Amino acid sequence: MNTKDNSGDVRLSGISKTYDNGFTAVQPLDLTVPQGSFFALLGASGCGKTTTLRMIAGLEEPSSGTVFLGDQEVGHLPPYKRPVNTVFQSYALFPHLDIFENVAFGLRRRGIKSVKQQVVDMLDLVQLGEQARKKPHQLSGGQQQRVAVARALINHPKVLLLDEPLGALDLKLRRQMQLELKRIQTEVGITFIHVTHDQEEAMTMADTVAVMNAGRVEQLGSPADLYENPNTTFVANFLGTSNLIEAEVDSKSGDEIILKAGGGKLVLPEARCSAPTTTGGKVLVGVRPEKITLTHADDAGEIPAGRNRITGKIADSSFIGVSTQYVIDSPVCPEFEVYAQNIDRDSRLRPGADVVLHWNPAHTFGLDAAQDIDAGVDLEEEAA
Amino acid sequence: MSTLTEAPPPLAPNAPEEKPPRKKRGRWTPYWLLLPGILWLIVFFALPMIYQGSTSIQTGSLEDGYKVTWHFATYWDALSEYWPQFLRSVFYAAAATILCLLLGYPLAYLIAFRAGRWRNLIMILVIAPFFTSFLIRTLAWKTILADSGPVVGALNTLHVLDVTNWLGWTSGDRVLATPLAVVCGLTYNFLPFMVLPLYTSLERIDGRLHEAAGDLYAKPFTTFRKVTFPLSMPGVVSGTLLTFIPAAGDYVNAELLGSTDTRMIGNVIQTQFLRILDYPTAAALSFILMAAILAMVTIYIRKSGTEDLV
Repeated sequence: MNTKDNSGDVRLSGISKTYDNGFTAVQPLDLTVPQGSFFALLGASGCGKTTTLRMIAGLEEPSSGTVFLGDQEVGHLPPYKRPVNTVFQSYALFPHLDIFENVAFGLRRRGIKSVKQQVVDMLDLVQLGEQARKKPHQLSGGQQQRVAVARALINHPKVLLLDEPLGALDLKLRRQMQLELKRIQTEVGITFIHVTHDQEEAMTMADTVAVMNAGRVEQLGSPADLYENPNTTFVANFLGTSNLIEAEVDSKSGDEIILKAGGGKLVLPEARCSAPTTTGGKVLVGVRPEKITLTHADDAGEIPAGRNRITGKIADSSFIGVSTQYVIDSPVCPEFEVYAQNIDRDSRLRPGADVVLHWNPAHTFGLDAAQDIDAGVDLEEEAA
Repeated sequence: MSTLTEAPPPLAPNAPEEKPPRKKRGRWTPYWLLLPGILWLIVFFALPMIYQGSTSIQTGSLEDGYKVTWHFATYWDALSEYWPQFLRSVFYAAAATILCLLLGYPLAYLIAFRAGRWRNLIMILVIAPFFTSFLIRTLAWKTILADSGPVVGALNTLHVLDVTNWLGWTSGDRVLATPLAVVCGLTYNFLPFMVLPLYTSLERIDGRLHEAAGDLYAKPFTTFRKVTFPLSMPGVVSGTLLTFIPAAGDYVNAELLGSTDTRMIGNVIQTQFLRILDYPTAAALSFILMAAILAMVTIYIRKSGTEDLV
């Protein structure tokens, strides 16, 4: 593929949306989605992700700013003149047309006469060749979803927009369709912009994820980058689970910051701290639950030196098969979560036991303490 | 800890209650519930139909009394004498139906998609005429279309009447007592019957389908032609039926707004029954009208293919 081709770049320039009732759904936003990437807009309901998508599609008029596709400004074009197609939430298939005509709709509107071969090929791509003459209501949810994708893709859009395309499917089908969509995207190589509230979905499918909150992009990056190096408490809590501890900057040595938290000392690599650090200042220290090792207090002497340690007492444990999830009551953090793989289970690790939590300092991240420590904690359940 | 092989005891169940013996009555309940409707149909539909049917094949006179003589010739005589009125009824009703559709569709579309918070108000305005009697409303049109009234004056000034005269819809300087007046009256009186079903079917259309069509390169008018209109077909069919069927049998509009040249089949039946007192002919005409409408409606529904629409 020609790597210089940038006609599928989506560039949002200062785009914002304020409704007539004064509600600002999207704050002025600059964003570039490079050609051929699978980009996810992730956020809870009401964060402005769908509005952003609709402004790219032309279904919503931006209050300010504009949209570029490649070098072409499309901000003023009506939807039917934009080279983008949308897979709508709950699909919006035309109920009076059969599957064949639904898929052929876009081609016919552009005056293409011989649509048959293209439609047949496209239905084969989404494995619906047999269903061509059925009406949408005769298909299952997953099949309807694939028709919606086929109906959009057949037009060879520069960009495919997907608005919560898997929201109406059950869990198992959703997993299957995630892989399917990813396969199709790799096959056709066009830019996909995917709106979802499901962080797992975003991380599974997208190359780049933009986490949105209250009309703003909180952070943008690859799924691994967002997960390992969250810049805000919202991202840290919304994407998976984080243990956040309030700590005070004690000193700096080399590229490491030494912090005081609840009497103990923690080490944080300076490169992994997104907040300004001055001696005596506060930072939030975060660590993901699966990075932590749990050792019974009696064996504390066996813990290798140089690891970050915290003491606590097991408050609760739940066995979920591949791992056991512990909630630890610790002086620095009342509900510290630890996920331990079930490799060698220590039978002493039961609620009430005294334990030492320890982890590699390189897995620690630092955040600005001047923000809500609980931002984004329960949003995912609300959105789902 | 002892090994757990016993499942914990379940919650103590409530003391088992004596089940009341199941009554057999339940099986018959649906039929009992249907009974009033069936009785109503028998008394007010089936019996009058049978009575009318038998009347239509009777002979005799008022003085000597009527007897069923299986005299089917009445049908043929009625049809050969009054076929112009039949044709006229169909023509007027069709014209009124088309006018209702042309006026009602944009109105229903506006209420369904554009009216916003005015929706309820406009709906009330559509229904409001029903608060007055059909007869009074039709009489009001007599005033509106009066020879010296502003409507006729305006139409005259604009030379619209020259066109309608040429088409044979009006004659001279008059609108009243012409086909145009009758069709106007029919259109006005049956418009709500067109608007309401149209509105219902338009309102049911998912707005995202319009967006999807736009997204798939359909211009607004193409979206209407390919998505909105086909999806509103159930409303179009029921609206046209609800307008055409009563309009074809109507006699009030032709009576009040028309002349002897605009008599519809309803007027003939009314005269036969109430003035000439020729009951067999009147009954035969009623049956012919019913059969004709039934045939036309069947063909229409077949052609429009609405059975297929979901």
